[in-house]
Amino acid sequence: MEGNGRYVETPGGRYVDIPVKSGPDTLVVKAGTAFNRSYVINAGSSVSMPANHIIVEEGSLTDICIIIMPGVDADIPITVDLIGEGSDFSLSGIYICGSEERVSLETVVRHRVPGCKSNQHFNGIVSGTARTDFFGRIIVAPDAQKTEAYQVNRNILLSDKAKVNTKPQLEIYADDVKCSHGATIGRLDEEAQFYMRSRGIPLEEAKVLQMLSFISPVLNHIRNSAEREVVAKDIDEAIRKIL
Amino acid sequence: MKDREENNILKGIASQEYKEGFVTEIEQKYIPKGLDEDIIRTISSIRKEPGWLLDFRLDAFSKWKKMKMPRWAHLDLPDIDFQDIIYYAAPKKDSDRPKEIDPKLEETFEKLGIPLRERAALAGVVAVDAVFDSVSVGTTFRKTLEDKGIIFCSFSEAVRDHSDLVRKYLASVVPSGDNFFAALNSAVFGDGSFCYIPKGVKCPMELSSYFRINASGTGQFERTLIVADEGSSLSYMEGCTAPMRDERQLHAAVVEIIVEKDADVKYSTVQNWYPGDSEGRGGILNFVTKRGMCKGAGSHLSWTQVETGSAITWKYPSTILKGDNSSSEFYSVAVTNNYQQADTGTKMIHTGKNTKSRIISKGISAGHSQNSYRGLVMMNAGAEGARNYSQCDSLLIGSQCGAHTFPDIRSANRSAVVEHEATTSKISDEQLFYCNQRGIDPEDAVGLIVNGYAKEVLSKLPMEFAVEAHKLLQVSLEGSVG
Repeated sequence: MEGNGRYVETPGGRYVDIPVKSGPDTLVVKAGTAFNRSYVINAGSSVSMPANHIIVEEGSLTDICIIIMPGVDADIPITVDLIGEGSDFSLSGIYICGSEERVSLETVVRHRVPGCKSNQHFNGIVSGTARTDFFGRIIVAPDAQKTEAYQVNRNILLSDKAKVNTKPQLEIYADDVKCSHGATIGRLDEEAQFYMRSRGIPLEEAKVLQMLSFISPVLNHIRNSAEREVVAKDIDEAIRKIL
Repeated sequence: MKDREENNILKGIASQEYKEGFVTEIEQKYIPKGLDEDIIRTISSIRKEPGWLLDFRLDAFSKWKKMKMPRWAHLDLPDIDFQDIIYYAAPKKDSDRPKEIDPKLEETFEKLGIPLRERAALAGVVAVDAVFDSVSVGTTFRKTLEDKGIIFCSFSEAVRDHSDLVRKYLASVVPSGDNFFAALNSAVFGDGSFCYIPKGVKCPMELSSYFRINASGTGQFERTLIVADEGSSLSYMEGCTAPMRDERQLHAAVVEIIVEKDADVKYSTVQNWYPGDSEGRGGILNFVTKRGMCKGAGSHLSWTQVETGSAITWKYPSTILKGDNSSSEFYSVAVTNNYQQADTGTKMIHTGKNTKSRIISKGISAGHSQNSYRGLVMMNAGAEGARNYSQCDSLLIGSQCGAHTFPDIRSANRSAVVEHEATTSKISDEQLFYCNQRGIDPEDAVGLIVNGYAKEVLSKLPMEFAVEAHKLLQVSLEGSVG
């Protein structure tokens, strides 16, 4: 808590029902519709998240992917309210930091009604003197039975001067749920590198391949294949640069 | 009608099942209520303490006055009036037999299953230091331990007889101003246990502290200090109970463990404080600071805890992994029922090279309870090749309870590897059905499934504790299904 710059107020033991309010920054995914978009945030470009609050209605399908390229300082808070039964929500992201970036991601996914599914998947590669903070919360309201909520945050730390902090949180007030979160911070597997090198792949290339394969599960969230290929190419270049 | 009946049954179970909830009628000596410098001086003089310890207390008190009660935990904390607590209570000693243990006290501990006399049948198994409110009433197997050079005695005796050791290690792991409750404890602590294992000695039996709150309107503030010197090994157990009362009683203890080079310490706790009744009245407020330091290379510290008691638990047994190649483990089962609240977990702070830690936490919530895991894993820049694995599972029984996980993972070293995973689920209908079908009634089936779920942790407990822990789990969850 201290040293993290942010102090989190906890309501103390009980579920606190914060009313759903929409503001100018709210994105509403209407009942029965699908919303599928990816956002690539490049250094110097002006693309930013259109919304820091998303309301998900009944029976809708949402898939949002955020890609943060090297050289970007970002502070992205996203709150998601699942207010309609049977909706399926996915939020994923990639962050690649190679120099002195500060990236902070904060997600709050509130399951307010029964029978919804949410999935969060964030993978990051951190090098240089960058610092990343991931703070992800899943809150399941007392009556939101049959909820399925998952969250994964994986990080590769490439430099001793870089820092990775991750705080996944589960707050569950219903009982018939399936929820999990996982977080890892680690390095590139040296045995895998040896395997590739013994087959004639140079070390540098082996590392690039490892990182690409680490990123690729998140990339699959970009549904449009043309778009996905463009992003994949950009990421390939970015990874080679930070190595 | 059916609801009412169910409630009655629940009430019956809640009041009858806490079998340690009796009060010992014994004449006790109290000091006045409240907390100020005079009270601290009084406590210190009753305990005939040297000047340095009084200074330590007063210093802690001045720090405490500047602190605020921590509110960041996921707990609904009542306001505690610290001036409304009696900070020292002790059974009166008869002047005609000052050496002997009061038979009533002996009876109390006998009833709790803690024999104060060394018995042939139990010889060589467990040595106990029994603490009753603010004083230690007896320590067993002293002679056997002394032969090996092991010091195991009450804290006040340690201050008297081994002043240099106490002075060297006291507050070296938990500084007096560490947090609100540690500061309070440092200012007013009563008795506790002190244990020193000399170089290369393997402790021949389990050492154990047993804490009993008896007097009403008091708090218990015990202090435990364990030092394991180079190459020694020790298994330590802690147990605790309190009478059933409608008022809430404060328990704010500090446990410090110092593990030197290649030493091995295993610290096990079965927390069985009175948890309050089924309506959430009464119970112990348990705000405890437990911390160990793996000081030397290759040292090892293992925490095992089974939490079934206390109305509110605020407790994070932690390890600082300072020595290279040192390792630590944390195994925990926390059960909450009725209106209990628990915010518990661990901190693993890696500073040495190739340090390893492992966290296995199993939370079980039933009734209207709230059960949180809160943990910190920190890899400092010097922690080359450090490794951590954490697993936190929560089991929900009933739709009114909550289970929460708040891990905090920080890494500043590229060769360190940290893994964390958490899951939350309930006992599935299929599992219950499977048991029912084979003639196991729902309550037993839940007990069976819960014991299986917690097995990974229970298997780490010393044998004497494991049996008790199994039973406790069963009792704590009684009435939670149906």
